[in-house]
Amino acid sequence: MKTNPLLSLLRVLLIAVLVTFAGFPIYWMATTSLGTDTQLFNTGQVPYPQLSNLPDLIFALSEVPVLRWMSNTAIIAFGNTVFSLMLGSVLGYALSRFKFHGRGMIGFLMFMTQVIPEALLVVPLYAMFISLGLLNSLWGVILANVGFSVPVAAFILKGAIDAIPYEIEESAIIDSCPRIGILSFIVLPLIAPSLAAAAVICFFGGWNEFLFAVTFLMDPDLWPAAVGLASFIGEYETPLSAVMGTALMFSIPAVVFFLLVQRKIVAGLTSGAVKG
Amino acid sequence: MTSSLLKRGRLLGLVPYAFVAVPLAYMTLFVFGPLIQQVWMSFTDTRLMNPTAGDFIGLENYEDLFTDDQFYTSFRVTIVYTILTVILGVLVGTVSALALDRPFKGRALLRTIMLFGWAVPSVAATLVWLWIFNGPSGVASDITEALGLGRIPWLTSVDWALTSIMFVTIWQVSPFVMLVMMAALQSVPEEVREAARIDGADGLNVFRNVTLPCIMPTMQIVALLVAVWSIRRFEVIYLLTGGGPIGSTSTLVVQLRLTAFEDFELGLASAYGVVGLVLALAVAFVHFLFERRRALVMSK
Repeated sequence: MKTNPLLSLLRVLLIAVLVTFAGFPIYWMATTSLGTDTQLFNTGQVPYPQLSNLPDLIFALSEVPVLRWMSNTAIIAFGNTVFSLMLGSVLGYALSRFKFHGRGMIGFLMFMTQVIPEALLVVPLYAMFISLGLLNSLWGVILANVGFSVPVAAFILKGAIDAIPYEIEESAIIDSCPRIGILSFIVLPLIAPSLAAAAVICFFGGWNEFLFAVTFLMDPDLWPAAVGLASFIGEYETPLSAVMGTALMFSIPAVVFFLLVQRKIVAGLTSGAVKG
Repeated sequence: MTSSLLKRGRLLGLVPYAFVAVPLAYMTLFVFGPLIQQVWMSFTDTRLMNPTAGDFIGLENYEDLFTDDQFYTSFRVTIVYTILTVILGVLVGTVSALALDRPFKGRALLRTIMLFGWAVPSVAATLVWLWIFNGPSGVASDITEALGLGRIPWLTSVDWALTSIMFVTIWQVSPFVMLVMMAALQSVPEEVREAARIDGADGLNVFRNVTLPCIMPTMQIVALLVAVWSIRRFEVIYLLTGGGPIGSTSTLVVQLRLTAFEDFELGLASAYGVVGLVLALAVAFVHFLFERRRALVMSK
């Protein structure tokens, strides 16, 4: 196939522009984290990462409660994963294997959760958590997040269970093994890759979440990294390098795992949207 | 054998309901219940100090809403923001997918880089964009200054704030669009494209008459997803501008938060939220209409 050299050149230029647009902010995050405040605010930012400043960055980061924020983030993310997978696998199994009255309605409701702005739930949940003593507790944040992760997990797992032949379960049914046992010991191991993908999605759903955490957690000791990072905005005590260093540490796990399971995420989100 | 299983299937009776009971109860308690409560709250005079006690006041909040200039600003901002992020996000994402469609050396690496905007957590992304858009020291203004356009108050002027937010949003959503469209492009039969080329169609013609019709349904779905996300989006806007300057970037969802937690007026805040919800539902409804029509076309 012949290609026009001018078109090829245009295509290369286009890709260069798109890649720069997409990658620059992350490059800049790394570069800024290795700059000094004098450079950044007075003499002008050095446009490449100065690795010699790494010890300064590590020292600056030690002044910020990064580790506590990260561990709170991990607790929220882990809790979200465990509960969402438990509820999501049961729901996904039911939607895949049973025909029953109200099945379409449940699928529709699950789809609706992807449409509802989270901001609409903040005030009622805030009121509920006051009376349950869950305000200012990581539990409250986890419980609120799970509501939004369950449908996503259920869609992904339903899709995976649909692809497994029902005959595999039949022998167990004849041996009158309870359904929940079939799900746990026969079906779930067979869909391990999808289960893992759903777990990653739920984990980083909780990892990235900001609105519930910033509303329900007042105690800085309980803040996840998203809330801690946001608290840097408008605060000028912390060196900018430490702010960007924290942002980078918070981003790297998410980026690595999102890139690993990108196809599953797309499949889950679009199939959820298509099938309702 | 099969018929006995079918009978068993029928005898299942309550088993399906036992399975869905717990997840459904959970969703009712933490999602649908609060949602209904929020809608109800828009008809009461609830205040944040005492969020469980509010009296029914009918449509008073909506009267306040419809006489409030900020409501019209928020409504307009939400619509403009949603439409433009959908058009530009889908455009940039689709162009990216087309640019990377044909294999070349280093494609995997470039695709990975192009996915960053989608994979980086919103709050971390917001912080670096705040720095890029910083007034006196930000690199965005360094660039415009070098181009002779002077330093632009990206986030602090009414003229630029919404544009800057849309720029960040497009950076975030276009990678997702790209991922979806790349998958869609792979389903376009290469033989058909090749045949069209042999028949003398040039690149643009092949695209318009073969590729585009094939990827159009996917494009619609992804556009609707991006639209719903734009209506829902909170943290990026809230952290970049806080809805300012003077309410010029305060979408319905951001205004809901500000009215609830800064003005403490939960009733009015809920009314903002209900309008946002109606918009999101309208988009979802359009989605269902598209799906229904497609199902009809396919069944013919």
